[in-house]
Amino acid sequence: MTAKYWFQAGRRAFLLTMLVFFLAPFLWLATTAYKPSSAIFSIPPTFAFSPTLDQFRTIFRLFDVWSLLRSSVLIATGSVILSLALGVPAGYALARSKSRYAMGIAYFLMAIRMIPSVAALIPFYLMMRDIGLLGSWMSVVLINSMLNSAFVTWLMFSYFRGLPPELEEAALTDGCSQFGAFFKVALPAVRAGIIACVLFCLMFSWNDFLYPMFLTRLESKPLSVALLSAYGTKDITWGTLGALAHFSTIPIVVVILFLNRYFVQGLTKGIH
Amino acid sequence: MSAIADHPGIDLVEPRGMPFATRRKLFLVVMAVPVVAYVLVVGIWPLAQGIWYSLYDYNLIRPQRTKFAGLDNYVEIITDPVSRQALINTAIFTIGAVFFELALGFLLALSLWRDDRFNRLALALILIPVTITPLVVGLIFKGLLAADYGMIGYFLAEWGLTDPRGLLADQHAALATLIFIDVWEWTPLVALILLAGLKALPADILEAASVDGATGLQKLRIIVIPLMLPAVLLALILRTVDAFRVFDTVYVATGGGPGNATNTLMLHAVKQGLEFFNIGRASAIANLTLIIIALIAAGFVMMIRHADRKANGK
Amino acid sequence: MHDIKGNHMKNADAAKLATAGLLACLMGSTALGQDKPFSGITLTIAAQNDQFAPVIAELAPKFEEETGATVKVDILDYGSLLTKTTADYIGDTEGYDLVTMDIVWAGEYAENGYSVELSELIERDAEEIDVDDIYPNLMMGLGNFEGKQVAFPFAGYANVLAYNKTRLDAAGLEAPTTMEEFVAAAEKLTDPDAGLYGFVANGQKGPASAQDWMQYNSEMGGAIMGEDGMPTLNSDANVESLKVYRDLFRKAAPPGAAGYDWGGREESFRQGVAALMQTWSVGAPGYYNPEISKVVDDVAITTAPHSGDMAPSYGIGGWGMAINADVSPEEQEAAWAFIKWLTSPEIHKEFNLMGAGSFLRKSEMTDADLLAKFPFLPVLAETFENGDYDYRPRIPEYPQIQDFLGTAVNSVLVGDADPKEALDAAQAQAEDLF
Repeated sequence: MTAKYWFQAGRRAFLLTMLVFFLAPFLWLATTAYKPSSAIFSIPPTFAFSPTLDQFRTIFRLFDVWSLLRSSVLIATGSVILSLALGVPAGYALARSKSRYAMGIAYFLMAIRMIPSVAALIPFYLMMRDIGLLGSWMSVVLINSMLNSAFVTWLMFSYFRGLPPELEEAALTDGCSQFGAFFKVALPAVRAGIIACVLFCLMFSWNDFLYPMFLTRLESKPLSVALLSAYGTKDITWGTLGALAHFSTIPIVVVILFLNRYFVQGLTKGIH
Repeated sequence: MSAIADHPGIDLVEPRGMPFATRRKLFLVVMAVPVVAYVLVVGIWPLAQGIWYSLYDYNLIRPQRTKFAGLDNYVEIITDPVSRQALINTAIFTIGAVFFELALGFLLALSLWRDDRFNRLALALILIPVTITPLVVGLIFKGLLAADYGMIGYFLAEWGLTDPRGLLADQHAALATLIFIDVWEWTPLVALILLAGLKALPADILEAASVDGATGLQKLRIIVIPLMLPAVLLALILRTVDAFRVFDTVYVATGGGPGNATNTLMLHAVKQGLEFFNIGRASAIANLTLIIIALIAAGFVMMIRHADRKANGK
Repeated sequence: MHDIKGNHMKNADAAKLATAGLLACLMGSTALGQDKPFSGITLTIAAQNDQFAPVIAELAPKFEEETGATVKVDILDYGSLLTKTTADYIGDTEGYDLVTMDIVWAGEYAENGYSVELSELIERDAEEIDVDDIYPNLMMGLGNFEGKQVAFPFAGYANVLAYNKTRLDAAGLEAPTTMEEFVAAAEKLTDPDAGLYGFVANGQKGPASAQDWMQYNSEMGGAIMGEDGMPTLNSDANVESLKVYRDLFRKAAPPGAAGYDWGGREESFRQGVAALMQTWSVGAPGYYNPEISKVVDDVAITTAPHSGDMAPSYGIGGWGMAINADVSPEEQEAAWAFIKWLTSPEIHKEFNLMGAGSFLRKSEMTDADLLAKFPFLPVLAETFENGDYDYRPRIPEYPQIQDFLGTAVNSVLVGDADPKEALDAAQAQAEDLF
């Protein structure tokens, strides 16, 4: 047995341990959804139980789960689209600009992402009231996109900087419009970076609690807000929480499973 | 370029006739303006109002009692023991969480470096904690660590490894436990960013080093780590900024207790702002938090630029 | 600095509500769609996620069938409920028509005029409502603050003593009637090696630990507010009661109780771990439900204990239904009709048979169907008749006082804080509010 073999074996063992570490807590919550509550609270804890779908029945009794899911999807897709529509062109512009202000603007935008939610929340609430958007999913999109578009700009700024400008210059010389050079030449070259941005925005908007809790109403409430209500005040209901967490977790895990490869590729190109 | 374009007055009527450099500038400005305008309206304007509010003793529930307070709200954060402890807790939490996330994340990234099928699947699965709603993460660990019926907490207490009341109810261990939860939740993201940094390393340099007879450890120290700095700093900034603003997990796992042992700045601010609607005080805490984060981040940015220059200078 | 609360004087409108509401309750027969008085109106209720919330949602279609008004129930956790409804009131955003109001919010509602003042409506419809059938303590506690009726009671909770009779019998104990007996019994029933504990209470930081202690504190002769309307958090009686409570908590409660809120506490009793528990009656139906309870055959419920040398001080809590003063007169009218409908003897009985655990009327205490399902009703009757709804002061400053106490009590129970020092600190903070 060579040292290399043992090194590989050790690496696998470490990864397997890490997999258990990172997955087990989540699997525990997922399985509580199929447990009767007597099994959840058994002392000492037990791993054996007879599966039931009661917890799912309860959450459908308490919540309009499809409406929650719909709001979550609207908020997440809306935020992703708006953030990218604002952030990607700006990132390009700052990267290609020779102005000495460009760098300053990029860092200013990065600083935007640091604003604590509570700082802007109440003035923003009143602003939404005044323009009649309070209680709609769009108000959440607007504030999420404020944080996300700034971050996207900053991230895309570094991607585009890493992209040699010669290709676009060649296209421009061939009579391509400036927007064409951006859209048809530069944009496809940073595809992986854009997917990384999509994933960042998606995870943030899908999971955020404070903004939607404060800004939405019953008909626009997303899953992330309902989760806490599912947990309850007078009853600890791990089961219903686990059941509702299925709906909030499965869609995003599926997206990550399919796109994580681009995540790495995208970040790889953006880092230098 | 035509001679007409040299007359500035005509540029406005006939933009096509502008010199390319001007059109280019204009185009880039048009591309960048929307996001800046957007952020100013949706972000900076409310923030500015918040700064204004923070100078008042202003409670939305009792607006009639509003009075100018100057910097009282800020002074009180420093002098009030509850706020001061929240500040200290937040600092400890941030340093602890970010340190362990970077350390464990780097190990994970190194293990995942080789591009094979096992690693690709492992990476996808390891990312799951990042995708779970933070509130739920807090609740998961509250359940698992419960001393009476928790899958982990029960056995830890039973074997005498922890306080019988459970980790989250032990005032000496609660903050460390929250750091642990944060490490569980965010290490995968750090690993992902660092992995991207590793993959961006130029293969030829590594090969050249091997040919020169460098050992694995030497390669790591001399080549990998310096070239990885931009990725490390990206992870560092992202995590520091977010850890400093931690709210969701702490809110559900301990509510800041026992006593004030895990009270954090954001928890304190949210309670003041969204529970008591004491918007003057809440704004002050939030603004102070923003200033601290911005200062830390500025420090990191200096490091990034320094590292950038070094990397590009080679 | 502008005042964000618009100058809404809609309370006066409430008095002008048409009598259409009366119709709502009389209409048993289904009339044509357009004859229904509230067709086209949608009422949104912000409801605490207590047992009553899903039941209201299930009853809602019936109200719609009778009156045409659609009722939607937004079920929220306590923190979100308080935050969202307060923001709704102060921003005049008309998000909710009806709000379930915790008893302790009454002062804040009254001071700020968040909700429609109901006195005149109650007087006008007294006969229809059958006011005399509603416990005066609930009518006052769950909605009236200094003469202003800010909400209408619909869910009265009694603080009762739930106990595991089997375990008390085995130890040769009677259900304790005084705090001294309670402490002695709790200690005697504790056997950590067997995983059995004498009692359980909330230890978690925040409202949970504050509210439970306030209950025991009032039973031991302590008080949160003085005669002069100023806080007395660090009075000698309070410090003494917190000491007794801390010792009891450490000796006789399951260790995990340090992190319990209401849910954990209830679970501990239902699983048979804790033998004695003072609790809100709303959870009581759960002890008799074999799907979630292991003590179905062991549980008994009686009135809460109190110190031997004082008169009984039974805690009353629960929820009133408030009508948002910002919404249109038509919606207010429909909302009032809904309140009357929900609290009418017939519907309220059905509401409880469906598991709401939220009692209100004297007639419910002797109703054969309800008694068959909930044998503990006489205990509730006794508590509602003689109870105290002000042991948690319902003043506007309550949320902050509760927060100070929540930290103080928790740091005494779980940390090593000294009761006197902790309450001194809370008192100093509380005085700043006045």
